[in-house]
Amino acid sequence: MDLKVCIGCALIGLAVSGSVAAPGTADRIQGEKLPATVVDDVVVPVPGEVFLVLEKLSAPNWRALLRTGEPRAAGDRARTALLLGTVIADGFIAVQAQDREEVKRIGKTVLALSSAIGVRKSVVARSNSIIEAADAQAWPRVRSELDKALQDVQAAMTELHDEQLAQLVSLGGWLRGTEVLTTVVGSAFSADGAELLHQPALVDYFSGRIAGMDSRLKGNPLVSEIAGKLQEIRPLVAVENGRRISREDVERLRTISSDLLRSILAKSAA
Amino acid sequence: MSRMHSALLGLVGLLMVAGPALASVDDALSFALEAASPYLKEGFTVREDQSGGDLAVGERRAVRYQLFKGNEYWFWAAVDVTKAKFHLRVVDGEGNALEAERWERGRMAGVRVVPPTTGSYFVVFEILDSPEERTGWAVVYGFR
Repeated sequence: MDLKVCIGCALIGLAVSGSVAAPGTADRIQGEKLPATVVDDVVVPVPGEVFLVLEKLSAPNWRALLRTGEPRAAGDRARTALLLGTVIADGFIAVQAQDREEVKRIGKTVLALSSAIGVRKSVVARSNSIIEAADAQAWPRVRSELDKALQDVQAAMTELHDEQLAQLVSLGGWLRGTEVLTTVVGSAFSADGAELLHQPALVDYFSGRIAGMDSRLKGNPLVSEIAGKLQEIRPLVAVENGRRISREDVERLRTISSDLLRSILAKSAA
Repeated sequence: MSRMHSALLGLVGLLMVAGPALASVDDALSFALEAASPYLKEGFTVREDQSGGDLAVGERRAVRYQLFKGNEYWFWAAVDVTKAKFHLRVVDGEGNALEAERWERGRMAGVRVVPPTTGSYFVVFEILDSPEERTGWAVVYGFR
């Protein structure tokens, strides 16, 4: 039994934390050195992983990248799940900015959005840990607590048979991370920075997840909009046949991700 | 037999099958996290997203990871069977090994990777030998 296929076990409260493989996503490593090796999942990185590289490359002004306004839960649960992912990503930006008050505010917003989608109980302790770690300015611990919050939310959603909604939390985080990455790289273009956008496996993963959603969720206008834009994003993040990600590609990716973030935030910002 | 009765029997059956398997994954995960813990002091952030399961001798599993050039990664693996032998590799899409450093101690192992490019890589876990029919395994990773 795989940790990543323990969905049934999670429902009966026994599962170990971990992402869950979508059925039918197995493929094989292309090379001949490891023939017939089954690949059954993609581990989605947290935004903090790529932000750390950005910090080493260009020491961005993280405070300038923080969003203003207070995101509020929408009536639409899909939108709220996406929004929650973007807010957790904001937490990683606030960690990079070492902005204690912003991290604390984000911790509270994570709790409010979690309440709106019915997983408050699982996130209360984590939200408090985020706030405590921020007060202590223990930035690696804040980063770790944000990651745990993400896993807690997703595990709780899975328990509530909302696994597909949990995938939208990851997707929201990835979109916000991509918006920040393209903003930073676009403002001082470098080949090394642009290379960080080489993430076709993640784009394929998210596209596959949306394709596998039930028709109600797949037909949600916002989810549908994102699915369409992922098709536009896919060729821009590929580097096959010697192609490199250009300044124009970065700008186009920034526009797409910003537009999607605006759509997610529509009707939810105070 | 009523539907309710069947459902209850099914649930009991699931618990009987899943219980031991999950316990073994739990053990492997605990050991993998134990392997990772000294690296926290070195500035590594250990991810909460773990991979694992149980495998028979000769079986292997690969999981895809998105890694970023500029970061340093450690992957830590462990099994729940003391005398099991396993192999942990991190390879690129062509199957080329990427390890910058590795260690193996009893039921735990670690592999350090400094990705040469940003992209997707594969963590390949294989049970080479074990006294048990199925061996629980887990992999965690950290970055800095």
